[in-house]
Amino acid sequence: MDEREERERQGGATGAAGGAAPLAIEVAGLSKRYGDHEAVRGLSFSVRAGEVVGFLGPNGAGKTTVMRILTGFLPATDGTVRIAGHDVLTDAIAARRAIGYLPETPPLYPEMTPAAYVDFVARLKDVPRAGRRAAVERALERCGLAAVRHREIRQLSKGYRQRVGLAQAIVHDPQVLVLDEPTVGLDPIQIREIRALIAELSATGRQTVILSTHILPEVEAICQRVILIGRGQKVLDQPLAELTGGGTSLEEVFTRVMTRDAADAEARGAA
Amino acid sequence: MRHVGTIASRELRSLFLSPVAYVVLTLWSVIAGTFFIVSLLTFHERQLRLQQFQMLDQIESMNLNDHLIEPFIGSMWVIVLFLLPAITMGLVASEKANGTDELLLTSPISVWDIVLGKFLAGVEFVTILTAIAGFFPALLFYYGDPELGKTLAGMLCLWLVSVTYVAVGVFASSVTRNQLIAFIFTFVLLLILGMMLPFIVDISTSGSGIGSDSAVAEVIRWMATGSHVDRMLQGLIDTSDIAYYAVASAIFLLLAKTVIESARWR
Repeated sequence: MDEREERERQGGATGAAGGAAPLAIEVAGLSKRYGDHEAVRGLSFSVRAGEVVGFLGPNGAGKTTVMRILTGFLPATDGTVRIAGHDVLTDAIAARRAIGYLPETPPLYPEMTPAAYVDFVARLKDVPRAGRRAAVERALERCGLAAVRHREIRQLSKGYRQRVGLAQAIVHDPQVLVLDEPTVGLDPIQIREIRALIAELSATGRQTVILSTHILPEVEAICQRVILIGRGQKVLDQPLAELTGGGTSLEEVFTRVMTRDAADAEARGAA
Repeated sequence: MRHVGTIASRELRSLFLSPVAYVVLTLWSVIAGTFFIVSLLTFHERQLRLQQFQMLDQIESMNLNDHLIEPFIGSMWVIVLFLLPAITMGLVASEKANGTDELLLTSPISVWDIVLGKFLAGVEFVTILTAIAGFFPALLFYYGDPELGKTLAGMLCLWLVSVTYVAVGVFASSVTRNQLIAFIFTFVLLLILGMMLPFIVDISTSGSGIGSDSAVAEVIRWMATGSHVDRMLQGLIDTSDIAYYAVASAIFLLLAKTVIESARWR
């Protein structure tokens, strides 16, 4: 009962949303079931072009699943996803062309060099031949990879590998950037660098970014809006300014959701 | 399918950045050289013996094609069966192990691009293998005068068998993320296809009610690679043999495509 009510409420909320800027990401009634386990339940939200959205939630909340559905790697059990107006299932090629995606583990070929690898991805993503070389150069440059461009990726540190993953995601200048925990496992300096890079990308105002994380200061540092999910459902969707302006810190909100979540799980386990 | 070349050239480059390709090329060259010398010595010895016994009509009928090149290629295609799994095992499995399948499947390319790209990379590799093997019969043209057409038909046969086995390898590599399992699976499939099918027919028809000339036995025999090698090695290019290689390759590539595609829906 509770579930259905919530789904309806959420559905209504997205129906009302429809800003001036074109929608870069539209998610409606998204569900994903793995056997008996429902990883995502009736998730709906939309992101306007140029927005930087933090996709927040505890581990196992379904963040990665949602990102994989957004990028077309996984099909949804139910619901629709449109990227820059293209449905990820029925208009898959156009939708994928509009997306730059950094998965949780950067999809790297350890035996290749960053230069060769980013060039390969540029070809995959249909970067026109005339501008390919320049696009690869720019991506390497922006991610601070110029110095290691001819080293084998397997020899690079984790921070550099993450940057190669990011270079791969931005090489075709995508309308939508999907980053799955881009700073996980990095040291503080590397984290700062990656954040600076994301901030720089979003500073153009054209780049839509959705990034998942469970690190709160990260969201506060770079995002304009927060979508919080717990156990596959949307719990909160608000601009960051509104959230932190009301007196409650992001951490408080997050903790509340997590504890409620844990209590729910316990109650379910007892039943 | 504009990205077949992109996938294939990356794959081939990575193949040559790993030691496996060089190990296989070295083994192949050494084995080919050894078999060639053995074939050559056998040929020579036989000739000497025939001379000794003054069997002139038999000496007359001996020629380089039937008594040297044919047995040479006839053994080399069996070597493909043993070495090729090492090359094809990583074609798709390593993408899954690296997590790069997530890159490929979220790129604006089709699953056919991936499957055919991998296949093409393998085909390019076995073309190199065939060329190395072809070097030895080519030597004979310098010292003797074998028939060119017959020799080329033999090389084509070796190449077609290898290409078909690449398709098998692409499929076997797509069902797992573990390269060792992919290797074993490929090897087992190739063993069945290349060596065991005739025995299976023999065993299942002897003792049971099924005749060895029944339709089922015929089909199983048709599936065996060996049934499509002999005629071609003798210089007879039959469309039914060519069809066998084409159909077998197509089936395994289609299976690979289905496996990769269905992995998403699980």
